[in-house]
Amino acid sequence: MTDIAENGTEAVRGVAVTLNGRVIDAQPGELVINAAERAGVYIPRFCHHPRMQPVGMCRMCIVEIDTGRGPALLPSCMIPVAEGMVVETESPVTRKAQDGVLEFLLVNHPLDCPVCDKGGECPLQDQTVAFGPGESRFVEEKRHHEKPIAISDVVQLDRERCILCDRCTRFAKTVAGDPLISFVNRGNETEVNTFPDHPFASYFSGNTVQICPVGALTATPYRFKARPWDLDQVESTCTSCSVGCRVAVESSSNQLVRYLGVDVDAVNWGWLCDKGRFDFEAVNSENRLARPLARQGDDLVEVSWSDALTKAASALGGAKERHGSSSIAVVGGARLTNEEAYAWSKLARSVLGTDSVDAQMGDGLPSDVVLGLPRATIDETCAAGTVVLLGPDLKEELPILYLRLRDAVVNHGLNVIEISASQTSMTRYAAVSLRYRPGEAAVLVQELFEHAGDVDVQADLGRARALLEANNVVCVLGRPSVAERADSVVQAALRLRSRVPGMRFLSALRRANIHGALDMGLSPGMLPGRVSLEEGREVFTEAWGQLPGSVGLDTAGVLRAAAEGRIQALILVGADPLADFPDRDLARRGVAGAGFVLAVDCFATDSVRQADVVLPAVSYAEKAGTTTNIEGRVSRLHQKVTAPGTTRPDWMIACDLAERLGGDLGFETAEAIWDEIERLAPAHSGLTAQRLASSEGLEGIVAAGPSSILETTMDVTATATLPVDGYSLRLVSTRKLYDNGTLVQQSPSLAPLAPGEVVRANPADLDRLGVASNDRVRVASSRGAVVAPVEADAAVARGTVLLAFNQSGSGAADLIDVSLPVTEVRVETVGIGDREVSG
Amino acid sequence: MGYFEGFRITFKEMFKPRVTTSYPEELRPKPERAHGRHVLNRHEDGMEKCIGCELCAGVCPARCIYVRGADNPTDAPISPGERYGFVYEINYLRCIHCDLCVEACPTEAITESKLFEFSFTNRADAIYTKRELLVGDDGRPQRLPWELWSDDDEANTSAWVRATASSGRADYEGRVGWSAELGYGIRAPEVGQAGEDAVATADDRHGHGDDVGHGHGGGH
Amino acid sequence: MGRLNAGNVALAHEIIGRYPRTKSALIPLLHLAQEQDGWVSDEAMVHIAELLDLTPSEVLGTCSFYEMFKREPVGRYLVNVCTSIACMLGGGDELLEHCEKSLGLTPGATTADGLFTLNEVECIAACTEAPCLQVNYRYFHRITNEEVDALFADLRAGGRSGEIPPHGTLTRVRQQVDPQRWDGRGGEGLPEERS
Repeated sequence: MTDIAENGTEAVRGVAVTLNGRVIDAQPGELVINAAERAGVYIPRFCHHPRMQPVGMCRMCIVEIDTGRGPALLPSCMIPVAEGMVVETESPVTRKAQDGVLEFLLVNHPLDCPVCDKGGECPLQDQTVAFGPGESRFVEEKRHHEKPIAISDVVQLDRERCILCDRCTRFAKTVAGDPLISFVNRGNETEVNTFPDHPFASYFSGNTVQICPVGALTATPYRFKARPWDLDQVESTCTSCSVGCRVAVESSSNQLVRYLGVDVDAVNWGWLCDKGRFDFEAVNSENRLARPLARQGDDLVEVSWSDALTKAASALGGAKERHGSSSIAVVGGARLTNEEAYAWSKLARSVLGTDSVDAQMGDGLPSDVVLGLPRATIDETCAAGTVVLLGPDLKEELPILYLRLRDAVVNHGLNVIEISASQTSMTRYAAVSLRYRPGEAAVLVQELFEHAGDVDVQADLGRARALLEANNVVCVLGRPSVAERADSVVQAALRLRSRVPGMRFLSALRRANIHGALDMGLSPGMLPGRVSLEEGREVFTEAWGQLPGSVGLDTAGVLRAAAEGRIQALILVGADPLADFPDRDLARRGVAGAGFVLAVDCFATDSVRQADVVLPAVSYAEKAGTTTNIEGRVSRLHQKVTAPGTTRPDWMIACDLAERLGGDLGFETAEAIWDEIERLAPAHSGLTAQRLASSEGLEGIVAAGPSSILETTMDVTATATLPVDGYSLRLVSTRKLYDNGTLVQQSPSLAPLAPGEVVRANPADLDRLGVASNDRVRVASSRGAVVAPVEADAAVARGTVLLAFNQSGSGAADLIDVSLPVTEVRVETVGIGDREVSG
Repeated sequence: MGYFEGFRITFKEMFKPRVTTSYPEELRPKPERAHGRHVLNRHEDGMEKCIGCELCAGVCPARCIYVRGADNPTDAPISPGERYGFVYEINYLRCIHCDLCVEACPTEAITESKLFEFSFTNRADAIYTKRELLVGDDGRPQRLPWELWSDDDEANTSAWVRATASSGRADYEGRVGWSAELGYGIRAPEVGQAGEDAVATADDRHGHGDDVGHGHGGGH
Repeated sequence: MGRLNAGNVALAHEIIGRYPRTKSALIPLLHLAQEQDGWVSDEAMVHIAELLDLTPSEVLGTCSFYEMFKREPVGRYLVNVCTSIACMLGGGDELLEHCEKSLGLTPGATTADGLFTLNEVECIAACTEAPCLQVNYRYFHRITNEEVDALFADLRAGGRSGEIPPHGTLTRVRQQVDPQRWDGRGGEGLPEERS
C-alpha cells in the first residue's frame, strides 16, 4: 500500500500499478484489463466478459506487463494486479502483438460483413479498425463450413465467422447450466457445435447471440431484419414475466426488431431469457386488435370508439343502477403499467363503486400474503444464509431469477432447501429437496419442525432443520401448482415464518406487472400503496370521493358469482380467464353468466371473443410508465413504437369510461397519475418521477413500503392431511416457459417451442396402472377428462401425475376444481402408441 | 461608325458555331462520370448483385434510399450468398446524386447512369423501386417510358476501383474488378490508373473454379 | 453396436465409482465404448452422457478432441503409416504408397471387407526405426515392402491374433481393482459436484 506514489498523480489506497507511465489505484485481486478500463484505458478483448470467469482464449488482450521479472506479453484478462506492476498497453511490442493477433484471427474470418447481422456493431470490425494491422498477408483459401446452421429454433451458427472465444460455450456451461454447445474437434478444425440432433434448446440461448463478439451466432427472429445503423434504441423494462429485467428495445422503421439485455447489478446482469428476448414479435403481430368491437348478434363488429365507450358505459351504469355496485367486477390488470393499474383501481372504486377487482387469475397467492410479508430483494436472496424455495419451477416461470439463484449456489455456496411436489430445475442445485404430497405443503413443514414424518426422509428433514438455523433465511414464495389450492402453501409459509425468526420473502408470482397491480390495489380489500381498504379509507375517500363499503370478491369469487347470475357487468382488463384461470369449467360458466362483458385487450383471446364490447389497448413498447417487479422494484418503461390502429393506453380507457359514467379520474397524462400515486400511496411515498428518471432509477428503485398488512387470521397450526384415495393420483400442474399464452403463440419464433400436452407420471405408478410410456391415456377428475400421451418420468414423485398448464390441447384447466384442496385424477389407457383403442 | 459599332458583337457572333441546340429533339453528350439515375446491376449469370446490406442507405446523406434484406431462397437464389435485397427504393425527390452509395456498395450492385431527364407528376412516382432500377437480362438499364434516354447515358459512367474480393476468393484481391459500365461491358484502365494491374475480363472474372487469367479486357 | 451392453454398463459403474467426480470417468468410458464397437458411435456418446450426468455435447467435445477416438467405423486393423520427416527420409512415402497399392486404399479409407483402415499419420515417435507403421498401435519398425505384404496376408488369414488384438481393444486381461485399495482415498473430503 502506498500513500503517495513517487511519480504518481493520485493517492493510492489499493494496489499501485503503473499504467502507461501513470500510477493508478487498482483494487486488490482486480484483473489488469478491468483496472485499466476503470482508469480510462481500453484494452481490446473478445473472450473476456465481465459476468463470466476469464479464460484467456482469444489473446487479444495481451499487453506488456512487468511484474518485476522484466516485461512480458501477458493476457491482461488473466493477470490480477500486483503492487509495483508496470503495464504498457501502447508500447510498440504491445502494438505488434495486437496486430499479430488480429491478423491471425482474421485468417479464417470471412469478409462477408455486408451480409452479416453483426456488421456495423461488431467488436471484431471495430477492434480491427482500432488495433489491427490494416492488411493481411494471408492469401490462401479460407476455411469453409456450411453457412449458417440452426443450432436451435432461434439461434443460427456460422462457423466460418467464429473466432473460438469460448464466450457462448462458457455461457452455456457456467451461466445457463445448459452445456449443449461445445468445442468440437481440435486444432484448426475446432468449431463450436451441438451434438447431432441435440439442439441448443436452452431458455437462455439468445444471450449467446448478444455476447458473440463476431457474427457467428445470430438470432433467427432478427436475421436480416435491419442493420445496426438504422436501429433506434430506448432502455426499458421487460414485462414478459415479473423479474423486471432491463432491456434495450430496438426498432427499425417503427417496427420492433430486437431486444438486448442491459446489465444492471440488481436484477438481470445483462441476461435475458428467450421468451423475453423474442416475444416482441407478438407486439408486431398482424392479429393485434386495432379497433373497438361491439357485439351484433353472434358477431363482433368494428365500431367507433365513441360508440363502443357509450355502449360500455351505459351497460356499466345500468348494472350499477339496477343491481348495485357489487354487481360489477374487474378482473385482470397484470398487463398494465403501475399508472394504468392505478387508474383502473380508481375507476373501479370511486366511479363504479366496486371492490371486486382482482389482477390475479386464481393462480397466485392471497394479496395480503404477497404484500404483507417482510421482503427480500434478489441480491439479498442470493446472499442469504439459506433460501427456501416454496413455489413454481423458477426456470420455467422466472428464468432470470433462476439464473441468479443458480449462480449463487454454484459460485457462492448458497444453500437452498427446495420444498416442492415434484422435481424442478432447481433440484440439482438444492442442498435438500423435500417433496410434499400435492395439497399438503403445510403438513410437510409441520413434520419438519415436529420431527415427524416417514423414517426415510428424516435425514433430509434434519439437514433442512440445520440449514434453517442459519442467519438470514429467505423464502422464495409462489404457487407450486395450480392443481392445489393456495391455502396449504400459505400455511406452510406462515408456519415457516413463525419458526424461523427474521425470515424474509421474495415473491415468485409470474405475471408481468402483477406486483405493481397488487401495489395499486387491483385486489379485493386493498388500496394503492399496500394498505388495506380499512386502513386507507380516510385518505382515499378524501382523495377519490368515495370508496366501496365492504371487501369485494377475488377472481374465483367473481366467476362463481357470475355463474350464479350475480354479476351484471364483468370487465376483463387484459385477462383471459378461459385460458388462464385454473378451473376452466368455472371460468366458462362465469364468463357466460355475466350479464355484460367488457374486454380491454391487445388480442382476440378466447375470453375476448365472448365479450359484448372490446376495447383495443396499446401493448408493451407502445406506452410509457413504470412497472414493479417481484422485489417491489419500480422501474421505467419507455415507448418505442407507435401503436396500431386506434388503440389507446389502458389509463386513457379508464378515464374515458369514467367520463361517460359521469365521473372524472382527473388525469391528463400518465405522469400525472404517477404524481398522484407518489402523493397518496404510502409504499410509494418519495418515489418521485424525478428520482425514477435520475441515474438512481436506471436499475429501478425498490418501493420499501409498510408490511403491517399481514396480521392474518389464518390458522397456522391447523394441518390438513388429505385422505389418500388408493386409486387416484394427485395432479400437479405447473407452467412451462413456452405455453399456449398469447405472447408466445403470437410470436412465430416461439410458438413452435411450446412442448405440447404430455402427461408425466412415475414409472412405478404406470406399472401399477398397467400403462406403458407413450400410450395415450385418459386423465379424468371429478370435473372432466383429458386425453394425452403419457411419459414415464422418474423425476415425478410417486402418487402424482404432472400435466403442464395451458399447453395446446384441452389442458389441465379442464381437470381442476378450484373448490377442492387438490385435484385427484384417475389415469387409464385409451391407445397404445399412436393407435387409438376402440371401444 | 456609331450605328454599326453597336452591332459589332452581333456580327462577330453570327459567324461563330452555334452552341444552343434544340433540346430535347437534339441531345448533347454528357460529360464522363456525370451522375444520373441509378441502376441495380446483375451478374453475368443474371443474379442480382445487390445483397441488401444497406450500406448505401447508411451512407446516403439525403436519406433517400430504403433497403431491406431477406434470406435468399436456397432453391431459387436471387443473389449469390445468404442475403438479397428484398426491397430497394430510391426517392428521386431527395436524391442529390452524390454517388456515395456507389462508393459504399461492396458488390458494385448500384451504379449511376448519366440519365437525369425524367420527371414525375406525383410523389409516389418519384420513388423508384427495385422493379424499375434493376437492369435487364442483357445488363442494360431499362428505358422507362417517362425517361429520355440517349445511348450516351449508358457509356463512361464511372471510374474503376480495385476489387475487394467480394467473392471471398483471394485471387481477386487487389485486381480491377469493376465493370465500369452499367453491369455490362468492361472498360480498360484509364491513363495513370492501370500501373501493372490488369483488367480482369468478364470471362475470367466469372470463370468457375479456374484460376483467374491476366487477360486485358476492353469494352464489349 | 451403439449403446454399451449390459456387461460394459456394469463395468462403467465400477469405473465411475473409482472417481470422486463422475465426470472424471469420461475418457475411460469412451475407451470402453471404443473397445466394444471398435469406434465410438453417437449412441454410445449419448449413453455415456446419461451414465455421467453430462450432456451429449460435452461428451462429444472431449471425444472429438482426441484423434484416437474414432467417431466413424474403422477396420478391424487400423494401419497408421508415418510420413513425418524421419520416416520420409527413410522411405515413409514409398511405404505408404506400397500400403495403398497392397490394400487398394487411399489414406482414410477402409477396405470393403471391413478389415483394414489405412491412415497417414504424423510422427509416431519411432524416428530411429524409420520407416515404420503401426497396426492398432502395435509398432512395426524398419519394415520393408515384403514384410508389409506378409503382415497384411497374415492378418487377412486371421493370424497374429496374439500380437494384434482388434481395434479398440484396451486390454485382454482386465484387472479388477480391489475396492479396498481405492475406497476412501480418492473421494473423501472433496466437495460434491454440483455444476
